[in-house]
Amino acid sequence: MKRFRNEYTREMLIVPIILIIIWYFICDVFQLVPSFMFPGPTDVVNSFVKLVVSGKLFKDIFDTIYKVLFGMLLASTVGITFGIILGWSERLETLCKLIISILRPIPPIAWIPFSIIWFGIGIGPAVFIIFMGCVFPILISTIDGVHRTDPVLIEAAQSFGASNSQILTEVILPSSVPYIVSGLKVAMGIALMCTISGEMIGSSSGIGYMILTSTSLFDTGSTVVGMLVIGVIGVIFDYIFTKVQERIFW
Amino acid sequence: MTFEIENVSKTFVSGDSGEEVIALKDINLTIETGKFVSFVGPSGCGKTTMLRIIEGFENPTEGTVKDDGEIVTEPSSERGFIFQNYSLYPWLNVIDNVIFGLDINGKPEKESRKRAMEYLKTVGLEDFAKRYPHELSGGMKQRVAIIRSIISDSKSLLMDESFSALDIQTKHKLQKQIYKICQEKNKTIIFVTHDIDEAVFLSDEIVVFSRRPGSIKRIFEIKLEHPRDRDNQEFKDLVSEISKEIAEFDDE
Repeated sequence: MKRFRNEYTREMLIVPIILIIIWYFICDVFQLVPSFMFPGPTDVVNSFVKLVVSGKLFKDIFDTIYKVLFGMLLASTVGITFGIILGWSERLETLCKLIISILRPIPPIAWIPFSIIWFGIGIGPAVFIIFMGCVFPILISTIDGVHRTDPVLIEAAQSFGASNSQILTEVILPSSVPYIVSGLKVAMGIALMCTISGEMIGSSSGIGYMILTSTSLFDTGSTVVGMLVIGVIGVIFDYIFTKVQERIFW
Repeated sequence: MTFEIENVSKTFVSGDSGEEVIALKDINLTIETGKFVSFVGPSGCGKTTMLRIIEGFENPTEGTVKDDGEIVTEPSSERGFIFQNYSLYPWLNVIDNVIFGLDINGKPEKESRKRAMEYLKTVGLEDFAKRYPHELSGGMKQRVAIIRSIISDSKSLLMDESFSALDIQTKHKLQKQIYKICQEKNKTIIFVTHDIDEAVFLSDEIVVFSRRPGSIKRIFEIKLEHPRDRDNQEFKDLVSEISKEIAEFDDE
C-alpha cells in the first residue's frame, strides 16, 4: 500500500475550490443555513478582512505560534535528552517504562485543571499542555531511534577507541536523527491541537481564544477564519518537516 | 609475538530456551607480528566469534587472548576491525568517515584531512571525498572502510569477511591493495573468510576451524612467493586440499 503522500501540487487545489463553490451556493446564494448556524464564504471573507485590518489576526497567529514553539522547545529538550538516556540504559528504561506507559495515554487536555491551578491565566497553561502532549511522542521516537542504531556502527567506533560519551554523541545521536525528526513532526500536530484547547480555557489570547469568543458573539465568520488559520498553520509546519526529512538521507 | 590465544572457549546461552551452545572449545594459537593469517571453516565453526574475541567485542568464557602480552578485555584502537558490510557512518561524507578514528582520538583535523586525501589517492577515491556512502558502490565503500582502519595506524587489522559482498574483479583488486598496504606498514592481519582462493592468495598461514564445537582442525603454512599466481599448480593444489578439509563438514 502506498503511504499517504506528502508532496504538494497545484492539482490539489481542485477539490477545495469545488467545495467552496458548493458552500457558497448553499449558504450565500440559496441561504439554506442561517449564518449563526454556519457562515457562508462571504461572511468568512468579511470577517477575515476585518481581522486583518484591525491587526488582531496576526497578533493571535503570532501568539499561538509562539506558544507552540515554546512548548515544543521544552518538550524536545526533555524528550530528546531522556530518550537518549533511556534508550542507552536498558536498566533505566525498565525502571521508567511503567510510569511512561501510564502517563502517555492521558489526553493532554486532562491536564487543563492542574495547568490553570499551577500557572493561572496566560501562556503558562497552554505551554504546559503542549509540553505534556508532545513530550511522549518525542521521547518514544528518540528511544526507538537509539535502539535502532546499527550495533556494527557502535562496534566500529569502539574499535577506534571511542569512549561511551563519544559513542553517544558521534554515533547514537546522529543515527537517531531521522527518528527524532519524525517524532517532532508528530508532536507538532499534537502541539497545535493542544494550543487551541489550552487557549479556549486557560487563556486570553491566541486563535483558540478568538474562536471561542467570536462564537459567543455570533460572529461565526471569525470562528471559521480561526479554524482555517489553524489548518493552514498545520500544513505549513508539515511542509517544513517534510522538507527537513527529505534532507536526512540516512 | 603479537597475539597469544590460550585455551579459549566460548559458550553462548540461548535467550529463549536457556540452552548452552559451545561456539569455541580450547583454542590455542599464536599469531606473530607482521603475519597475514586467515581463519577458514564451515559456517557455524566459530571463526567470526574467535575474531570478535580477539578484538574484545566479546569476552571468552574460558581462557585468554593476549595482545603483546596484555590481556584483551575490550576493543582498542590498537586493533583495527573491518566489517563485512562496510559499517560507514551514513551521515558523514567519505573524508569525514576516513578521519572518524583520528577525530575520536583528538588528532588535529587539518592534518588528518591531508593524510586522508593521500590515502584516498592510493585507492583512487580522491574525487569522491565529498560524496556520501549511499552514493558509492560496494567496492568503493569497502575501500573507504579499509583506509579508515589503516589510517589510524593500529598495529593489527582484523577483517571479518570484508570482501565477501564484492564482485570478483573488485575483490581481486582490493586483495592486492590490502596486501600491499600491510606489507608496507608491517601490520598483523587476521582475516576471516569463506573464500579459500582468497585465503591462499593472501595468507602466510591458514587456520582451518571445525564445527561443533568450534576448534582448530589444521594449520596450513603457505610459502608461495608473492605476488601469487592463481593459475600456478601449487596454488590450485592448496586450494583444493583446504577445500576438501572443510568439505567434510558439509555432509552433516
